[in-house]
Order: sequence, then C-alpha cells, then structure tokens
Amino acid sequence: MGYSGLLEWVKFNNPMDNAYYPYDVYNLPYDAGAKLWELLGGLLGWLINLLVPGNRLSTWLISDAVVNAFAIIFLAVILFAVGFVVNLTMIWEERKVLGRMMDRRGTKIGPLGYFQCLGDGLKTFMKENVAPADKDKKIYWWALSLVIGSSVLIACMVPLSHRWFVVDYSTGLLLIFGIFALAPFFILCAGWAQNNKYSLLGGIRAATLMISYEIPMLILLASVVLMAGSFNINDIVNAQFDTMWYIVPQFIGFIVFVVCAIAESERVPFDLAEAEAELVEGWQTEYAGMKWGLIMLGDYFRGYTACALIVILYLGGWMLPGIGATAVPELVFLLKIFAVFFIFIWARASLPRVRIDQILNIGWKRLMPLSVVNLCIVLLLKMGGVF
Amino acid sequence: MSLVVSYIPLVVLAVLSLGFAPLAWWMSRFLRPNRPTQWKDTTYECGSVPIGEAHVQFRFQYYLFAIIFVVFDLVATFLLVWTLAFSGFTAEAKMWGLVFLGILLVGVAYALKKEEFIWI
Repeated sequence: MGYSGLLEWVKFNNPMDNAYYPYDVYNLPYDAGAKLWELLGGLLGWLINLLVPGNRLSTWLISDAVVNAFAIIFLAVILFAVGFVVNLTMIWEERKVLGRMMDRRGTKIGPLGYFQCLGDGLKTFMKENVAPADKDKKIYWWALSLVIGSSVLIACMVPLSHRWFVVDYSTGLLLIFGIFALAPFFILCAGWAQNNKYSLLGGIRAATLMISYEIPMLILLASVVLMAGSFNINDIVNAQFDTMWYIVPQFIGFIVFVVCAIAESERVPFDLAEAEAELVEGWQTEYAGMKWGLIMLGDYFRGYTACALIVILYLGGWMLPGIGATAVPELVFLLKIFAVFFIFIWARASLPRVRIDQILNIGWKRLMPLSVVNLCIVLLLKMGGVF
Repeated sequence: MSLVVSYIPLVVLAVLSLGFAPLAWWMSRFLRPNRPTQWKDTTYECGSVPIGEAHVQFRFQYYLFAIIFVVFDLVATFLLVWTLAFSGFTAEAKMWGLVFLGILLVGVAYALKKEEFIWI
C-alpha cells in the first residue's frame, strides 16, 4: 500500500471484514461508528504521515483493532443519543396528549412545543443542591446513580431492528428483563438512605409493587418464548411475521402484560412509590434539583423500554404483516412504541391510583391467574400444532 | 465471534449509561448556586420540624407474599428454561413440567386463601 493520497487512508471498508468485528450479522450503528472513525482517524493518520512520512502511528490509527475499538465506542454513543432523542419525544408526546386530554394545550415552547423539555432540563440543571445532612451519603448517591443508570442501560439495549442492536444473542431479552427488575431494589435502598419517613414508605412500596407484578410478567414472557421457541428478540419478531402477531392468540396475555408494564415503569395508576398525594414525592422526596430531573428522565427511559417490550412480544416488533421489514424498520418500530405509549398516557389521564392494600391482591389474585390461563392457552395451541 | 467478544459493546454501553447520571450531576455544579442554610439541611416533613429518625426497623406487612414471591421467582426461572426447550421434549417430560407447575399453583392458591386477612 502506498499511503500517498487521502483516499488510501479513508477507504470505508466493509465493517464485517474487520478481524475484530464482534457480531455475526450486520450492525448499522457499528457500521456508522466504524465509518466515522475511518474518516477521523484516516484524516489524522494522513496528516501525521504528511509531517513524518512512513511513521507507524499513522498506520496503527487505521488498523483493524483501533477501528474496532472506536467503532464500539461510537456505537455506544449513537445508541445512547438515539435513545435520548426518542425519550425527549416521548416526554413531549406525554405532555402534549395529557394536556389535550385535560383540555389544555400542554407544552408551548418551540415547534409544536417540542423544546419545552429541553428548557425544563436546563432549569433543573441550574437548581441548587438541597440534601438532608443526616442522610446515608454513600447509598444516597449510589442508589440514585444505579436507578438512573440501569434505566438508561435497558433503554439503550432495546434493539430497534434486526440491524440495530447491542447484544445479538438469546440473552438479550433476558438481560433487559433482569436489569429492568433491579430498579425497585435500588429504590428501596434510596428510600432508606434519605432518612425521611416519606421516602422510606415510598421505597417499601416500590418493593411491594415489584413483588406483585414480577411473576405474572415472567409467566407471560414464558408463554411468548414457548410460542416462538427462542429468547432471541430477532427470532421472536420473525416468528410473529411467519405466523401472526401474538396479540391475536394471546390477547389475555397482552392485556395483563400492559398492566404489568405500566407497573414496571411505575406510572399512574401504579405509581405507588411516588404517590404525590400521600407521600409528598415518595422515594424521591429528598432528591432535589438535577437529581430529581434525572430521575424523571430515567422514568421515561423505563416507560420507553416497557413499550418496546410490548411491541416486541405482542405487536410484531419492526415487521409489518404482509410487508416484512420496510426500508427503515427502526422508524416502524418507534412509531409502534409511540402508539403503545399513547395507551399509557390514556391510562394516566383516566385512572385513579391503586391503593396500597389493593396492589398485592391485584397482582396475585387477578394478574397471576390470568397469566397462567394465558400460558395454558399457549400450551394447548402449541400441543395442537397450531404454532 | 466468540461469546465474550460479543459482549464488549454491551460493557462499553453499560459504562456510558451508568456514568451518565454522575457526569450530568457533576457538570451541573458549575452552573448551580450554592447557598446552604440550616433549614436546607433538615429532612422534609411538610414544613414542620422533623420528629425522630427514619433509619428504623420498619415492619412491612406482606411478609408471606414476599416468601411466596421468592419461591415463585425460582419457579418462573424453571418455567422459562422449560418453555425454551419445549418442542424437543417427550410427552412425559412435558407432563412432568406441568405437574410441577400445577403443584406450586395449588400451593399458592392455598396460601392466599389461608392468609386472606394478612393485611393489617
């Protein structure tokens, strides 16, 4: 290789030819990241080579290992950025739709009120740090970081299409469910650490809520896995394209899963841990300013993940029936998520909060038997050879 | 590619998303004011002077549910594995899985019926 002209430095190789490519199939964000680094690194290498011809640093900059390393970093940044923008859109959707349902206008700043969330974010960014003196400092900070961090992580792990993922293995769905279920534990710790009675009660309530919805949710996951025969999100979506959307045979499961998903993302009517009418701000009472803003943002990341799980498990993911994956399957998937989120907002606008003494009965005496009934239906269909 | 290598992007993503909150918080210290008073140091109790500590041994009243939950969480894990391997099972293996699930469901139904007045 000559390495004389710029085009020999920036070649835009096929990322799957990279010796260190981490996946088995094509990944769009990785490809974008690799191309971005080839542009930046190639330009840098070319410049250094102009100054010091024949040095080894320049060729090292565009070697497979370096390109791969930066492609992975850019992949993470791209996934995070897209997740962040999608979340801002969901917050905007919620405020706009909720406003209309309450007969007011919702947000007003920017085009269609889209920039209001940014303004609110900036406002919480500049708020003073108010924290109680006799808190348990370490847990106070760590629990908060982990609640938000785990929420952001699962939201970024949601695959938007067959080419937009971070884990391509069967563990993808299990990992999302596993990390999703971690947050109530951190909320319990955070509630205790603040040394505030309201937040203690809020933390305990988060644990109560988790105890009541987690089992039906896992049983419903088992029914979907039974029908699709795989944990791999891609396989589940393809299986629904080959047969039908699982909302049709598992309608009971869909309803129960929506209820569980609303509970999992701690939204009205299941926001017992927050319950601002009874507990001030629940487990977030002593988290002021930017901490509170981040918690709110994390809530929407969780809501996004819950909607995405509903779409993946019951509404055919990024495929359209009869058409399959369109040119932009990511957009189809996001539109489905926004449609499901509309149901969440609708529930928030219409329903009163569930009482704390009702929640365990709802979970164990309503949702759980219904999910078992759903599992039995799936078993009968599977044994009857329908799926 | 090997299994370990394929998880490297996930690790990078995890570092990024777990670092997001502390980083945003740390950055906001350059913009936010800092005017502490003695009142801002107290815990919030709707404006009145806080009474006592909240670091107490709290009695939560759904102990039985918590126990059943732990048992059933394990059952759900078995169920997930069982459903994944379902199409490769013999009829006998399918039946035993169902019997296992059925026994536990009967147990839960009995416990819920017996402890109907567990609440307060």
